[in-house]
Amino acid sequence: MVTFEHVSKRYSGNVNALQDVSFHLDPGEMVFLTGHSGAGKSTLLRLILMLERATRGQIVVDKRNLGKTPSRLAPRIRQRIGMIFQDHKLLSDKTVFDNVSLPLMIAGMRYPDIRKRVRAALDKVGLLSKEKSWPLMLSGGEQQRVGVARAIVGMPPLLLADEPTGNLDPELSEDLFVLFRQLNAQGVTVLVASHDLALIRAMGQRVLVLSHGRLVDDIPACDVGRLRP
Amino acid sequence: MSLRQIRRKIRAWGRRQLYSFFSSLGTLLSHRLGTLMTILVLGIAMVLPLGLYVSVKNLRAIDLEREEWGTITVFLQLGAGEEKVKTFAGRIGQERNADVVTVSPEQGMEEFSAVSGFGQAIDMFEENPLPWVLQVTPRQVENEKFEETVADLGAWLEGQDGVDLVQVDYKWLKRLAGLLELGDAFVTVLTVMFSLAVVVVIANTIRLDVASRSDEISVLNMVGAGNSFIRQPFLYSGFWYGLLGAFLALLLLNLSMFYLQRPLTQLLDAYGNTFEVMGLGGRGSLLVLLAGGVLGFLGAWLSVRRYLRQFRLEDPPRRS
Ligand SMILES: Nc1ncnc2c1ncn2[C@@H]1O[C@H](COP(=O)(O)OP(=O)(O)OP(=O)(O)O)[C@@H](O)[C@H]1O
Ligand SMILES: [Mg+2]
Repeated sequence: MVTFEHVSKRYSGNVNALQDVSFHLDPGEMVFLTGHSGAGKSTLLRLILMLERATRGQIVVDKRNLGKTPSRLAPRIRQRIGMIFQDHKLLSDKTVFDNVSLPLMIAGMRYPDIRKRVRAALDKVGLLSKEKSWPLMLSGGEQQRVGVARAIVGMPPLLLADEPTGNLDPELSEDLFVLFRQLNAQGVTVLVASHDLALIRAMGQRVLVLSHGRLVDDIPACDVGRLRP
Repeated sequence: MSLRQIRRKIRAWGRRQLYSFFSSLGTLLSHRLGTLMTILVLGIAMVLPLGLYVSVKNLRAIDLEREEWGTITVFLQLGAGEEKVKTFAGRIGQERNADVVTVSPEQGMEEFSAVSGFGQAIDMFEENPLPWVLQVTPRQVENEKFEETVADLGAWLEGQDGVDLVQVDYKWLKRLAGLLELGDAFVTVLTVMFSLAVVVVIANTIRLDVASRSDEISVLNMVGAGNSFIRQPFLYSGFWYGLLGAFLALLLLNLSMFYLQRPLTQLLDAYGNTFEVMGLGGRGSLLVLLAGGVLGFLGAWLSVRRYLRQFRLEDPPRRS
């Protein structure tokens, strides 16, 4: 589903956010990505979304070589990926319902279908009662979960999450990870960037560890006990 | 691609358009004051060339009743007999295809004293000092050849026996025609300038609108919206601005015409003209609305196109 081969990303100002990163995610896999703040987790996810281009190396997503994909096709790639952003990225002048429905509007889906799908997604994150609220009226955790609903509403084959539990209490965090596992059981490939080592360990899945832009460890599911802060 | 897939794509496209359409209306309505002010500026900018255009059009219509202007006044030599004058008048009518009105010295005197109020002073003359006067108006002349015909006839009349003085008033015609041409040129210049102004005003409004919603645009970009999906609501907004501006301009135009109708008719009545002030008409109005919409669309397009460039990643080099 996702393949990185010797990928480096250098931002302007000589910041080497990623250096020589290689890994491969099979379809239907669930993988966690961890590392200290500034290690390059967000950068890695942004590269998959084609929000940035790699400086060096090759990235293949969904059988498409991103380095050879013209930028006008980027929306088509993003439409097949659900992304949960570190800072939610909700539209403050649209209701929760309208925010969640965006990917379906973009796909040009029929309104009755949009209604059904949006309400199902909001139900999954426990926010069905808030569909008419405005994002700014919600708590940080609720906003985070609206972002989750928006990411899963289009039923994308690949789900990326950047620090999705940043604003959630332990109980909600666990609920969310359980939701990820459910989706994964339905065949969705899931890649979650997170600091929450305890929770990651509890989930018992493969873990990629980044440090200063380098992939320093790739821990298989059977061996997560090895993961140390 | 199968026919079914194509049909599905077209339907999806239609739904996206619908979504953009309502989203643009929503934005306009949510910033009511700003929208209203923009539309006011646009309406005023558009009504200026329209007003001038309608004025020139109306002047041209008066111009069509130009027999008034083209009449030649012929003063005969003093002491001409009535018999001779009538024969001469008949000859002009036949040979030169013109209407001739004869005014005897007595009639002339009456008119003169009535108009000038010098009745008593004129009574002091023992003999009538006025000559016979003929008013000659060419018949059935096409507009373009009018001046030429009048000038020709004037020259011919001057050459006739017994004619003392010929007065041709076609200099006025020339001036009027010149003025109308100048008016036309003004209309063209104003239309071009104000169309440009409309495009710039709308482009700037949309630019501010886009800038104030740059967060929203970047989010749309990240969740997979293509350029056209992002652009569309702004293009519709531009279209609405232009259309509503044009509508306001038409409203202002018709209001001022209504206001000017009475004094104008009175003025023209005094010149013996019956005259109805002409507006743009249904087709003209429709055209103005359409032009407004198109200009708005264009302004928005120029504005959004520049802005969206910042989201474009550099493209991979083409393999040769
Ligand atoms: N747009 C940018 N321009 C320049 N440098 C950047 C940019 N974005 C990120 N960086 C730098 O790249 C490095 C990696 O950033 P990144 O956001 O990927 O870290 P992260 O692992 O997501 O950290 P966190 O856990 O705090 O979110 C950091 O040193 C950061 O300062
Ligand atoms: Mg980050």
